[in-house]
Amino acid sequence: MFDDDELLFSERPEWSDVTPLEQYENLNPLAPIFYTDEYKDATNYLRAIVKSGEKTKRVLELTENIIKQNPAHYSAWQYRYETFITLLFPSSPPKPSKALATNPMVIAELALMDELAVRFLKTYQVWHHRRLLVALTRQPRRELGFIKKSLEADAKNYHTWSYRQWTLAFFGGAGGGGGVAVESSDENDIDFEVGEDLWAGELDFVDAMLAQDIRNNSAWHHRFFVVWGCGVREGELDRERISKRELIFVKQHISFAPNNPSAWNYLRGILRHTSTPFSSVAAFAEPYTSSKESISRDNIVDLDNPRPGEGAELPCSEALEFMADVHEAKTTEEGVNSAVEIWKNLATEHDTMRKKYWEHRIRSAHRSLNTATNAA
Amino acid sequence: MTPRPVATDAFPTATSRAQAETEAVLLKHIAAPDIQQDPVLDKTSHMQFLVRNLVQGFPSRYISQDASQPWLLFWTIQSFSSLQVALDPANKQRVIDKVMKWQHPDGGFGGGPGQAAHLLPTYASVCTLAVVGRSGTGGGWDQIDRAAIYKFFMSLKQNDGSFLVAHHSEVDVRGIYCLLVVATLLDILTPELVEGTAEFIASCQTYEGGFASASHPSYSLGGELLPHGPRPPLGEAHGGYTFCALASWVLLQPYLASIANDSRPKPAINIDSLLRWLVHMQGIDIELGGFKGRTNKLVDGCYSWWCGGAFSLLEALGVGGLQNAVSEEVPIDSGTPEGVWDDVDEGLLNRHALQEYVLSAGQHPAGGLRDKPPKNADAYHTHYCLSGLSSAQHHVFPSKLRRSQVEEAWEATDSHNDAMRKRCFSEILSWTEEEGGSHIIGGQNNRVNATHPVTNLTMTHTEQFVSYFYKQKVPARILRKKPTTSPASAPGPGTKDAPAATTTS
Repeated sequence: MFDDDELLFSERPEWSDVTPLEQYENLNPLAPIFYTDEYKDATNYLRAIVKSGEKTKRVLELTENIIKQNPAHYSAWQYRYETFITLLFPSSPPKPSKALATNPMVIAELALMDELAVRFLKTYQVWHHRRLLVALTRQPRRELGFIKKSLEADAKNYHTWSYRQWTLAFFGGAGGGGGVAVESSDENDIDFEVGEDLWAGELDFVDAMLAQDIRNNSAWHHRFFVVWGCGVREGELDRERISKRELIFVKQHISFAPNNPSAWNYLRGILRHTSTPFSSVAAFAEPYTSSKESISRDNIVDLDNPRPGEGAELPCSEALEFMADVHEAKTTEEGVNSAVEIWKNLATEHDTMRKKYWEHRIRSAHRSLNTATNAA
Repeated sequence: MTPRPVATDAFPTATSRAQAETEAVLLKHIAAPDIQQDPVLDKTSHMQFLVRNLVQGFPSRYISQDASQPWLLFWTIQSFSSLQVALDPANKQRVIDKVMKWQHPDGGFGGGPGQAAHLLPTYASVCTLAVVGRSGTGGGWDQIDRAAIYKFFMSLKQNDGSFLVAHHSEVDVRGIYCLLVVATLLDILTPELVEGTAEFIASCQTYEGGFASASHPSYSLGGELLPHGPRPPLGEAHGGYTFCALASWVLLQPYLASIANDSRPKPAINIDSLLRWLVHMQGIDIELGGFKGRTNKLVDGCYSWWCGGAFSLLEALGVGGLQNAVSEEVPIDSGTPEGVWDDVDEGLLNRHALQEYVLSAGQHPAGGLRDKPPKNADAYHTHYCLSGLSSAQHHVFPSKLRRSQVEEAWEATDSHNDAMRKRCFSEILSWTEEEGGSHIIGGQNNRVNATHPVTNLTMTHTEQFVSYFYKQKVPARILRKKPTTSPASAPGPGTKDAPAATTTS
């Protein structure tokens, strides 16, 4: 399929000992797929091999052929992995070790994965196979570089990002190095590359990704993962300093492009994660709820409360929603009234698609207030 | 008036450029206000598309889905169901025969003959059999090896409560959803199977409110799971995973109810942030009210189901539509409808706009449904656009009245797991279409069948299938009409921070 000169497996003398196995024998199935000859040929041989249980070198060739025609063929991947492990550990149970990284079979497999990941970026199996390999070789650092490169082709690829997060968590989660558990390894044998420095470049990496596209939600999520999601690493022990740093970061990014739900979600996320009341950033959010004309433009630079940028389209509905939450949290009648005012505004003017939701917020705020009043 | 674009704040990036391109395309599909014609669901051409796939087959580009043959068939067959079409007995038999070729001798179903068993095709195969199968020789139902499926499921279980989707494969919540639907339908759900799974699901919720594909557990150096260590989600909040996680959460309620009284700490999800995230996935006017799958991504017809359909699931957790559900608690002959019906609440999403999206942008002129113009139609989008349309047309809710009817009809067995089986059975069958609760854009001709919010089968298929495997009778539904008087609005119980629905049987 990718090389016209390549022979079908049925034409190769070295496969003549295998009897290919048709997919649907004695059945004329509904909803058939029109296979190419190459695909039909290769998968007929895979079925035969799976049935016989053969795990030899030529199975790697066969499964590679199928995977290149259909990277989502998970059974081909699964059988390839089992074969690979059998060949790699012919006489002992599989054991991760750094030494594997220089094994020619492993090197070849990783090189193939580099090629396939770029070609089939959206396939689960490509990334998972890689994960199985790296769990064996314990060499995560190379992965971070590779991921960075493949994000250049697709900056929001779900698999790529979650693979990066897996790599970081697996090789150095809470405190670094806590993330490893492999059935077959006993403690003394674990030799792998960990350390804080695996994580050292992550914030710079996120900064670079967000500089490319401030609206890349995958990058915002990664930032949350790195700063908040994985426990506290060394150098980040002063949580107050970290909170402050992150608040300044997200506020600045909101000021560049206020109508960016990713940034507002990050702001909400860190406030909730640190149990900080929304009201603590009300002074920042408020100017984003005004219409543009009403914002006074002075030369005072307030780092804690950066103002909307020149091109900002205001009012910004995320800011309105945020301020309504601030008011509602006061749990007073005035507070709820102010919140309701904003929700009505959103429902009728600024975010009419979510009218039902804003009405729901109005009802439930009234209800909570009534319950509180009755209880008092 | 042209709807306003998503604000870019004079700060263009790759995201805003892709968004602007999509808006320009969608703008052409907004019905001009001077055209007073309602959008039509072109059932005939969609049927032609589906029948072509079924009878003639799928073109070569579908080789990429050769490991998803059960899905191709399920999407096709279930789309028929949505379009109120049933197969003739001969073709039903051909479907059954094909599905049975996928069953793996060691349990579960694979993506095709000779392929390894996998959770996703297991769901698609079993659900296809729910539609076309029957009991008896060659009918499929009795040929499902339930004991082997259970063993297969257990062999995939991880110590953080999650499941691999197949041996040597990844963990993700799609697989868990598929496993839980199958286990519930086939009456093989045990406490042992799902212990720790709710904790895993909860750990996949991200700071945005939606759910990610999976999470990563913390281990001690000795390799033991640290129950209180961080379990960061891998990947951002995503519509498909959110549906699967939320439906899993709903399917785990019978188990959670069964352990409600022990002293272990119980997992929890944040329903407020989930609701907020879900409503924000609905695009604005210029996006025709379609749903997107992640923050700052583009609308896509398939999220009509993954996100749009998730709102019904929220009702099982006490959010939205509550007034209607509670109203069923009032006996029909009480003669006091006052304060019972609340017409204000017809869902927390914009059902009207969602239907418009599917009808105006989701239909391919040559038949079949799609992500968005100018993309091609495919089997996947056809099914999920239709399911999403169905969820926007009908109000299907977990009726407490229905649940108690089903519970009362339960014949106790000497199974040691009887109480939980009864809960599974009555909760999955409690879902009820609200009479008179349909809002169909474009008129009755556009009506598609109501879909069970958890299984994504029709209500009838779900009922027949479940009844067979639990060996229990399902009581006839009592039809009731909505009172025509317009009563004062009913103060429902607080929905905020409402605990997960639990049975009180």
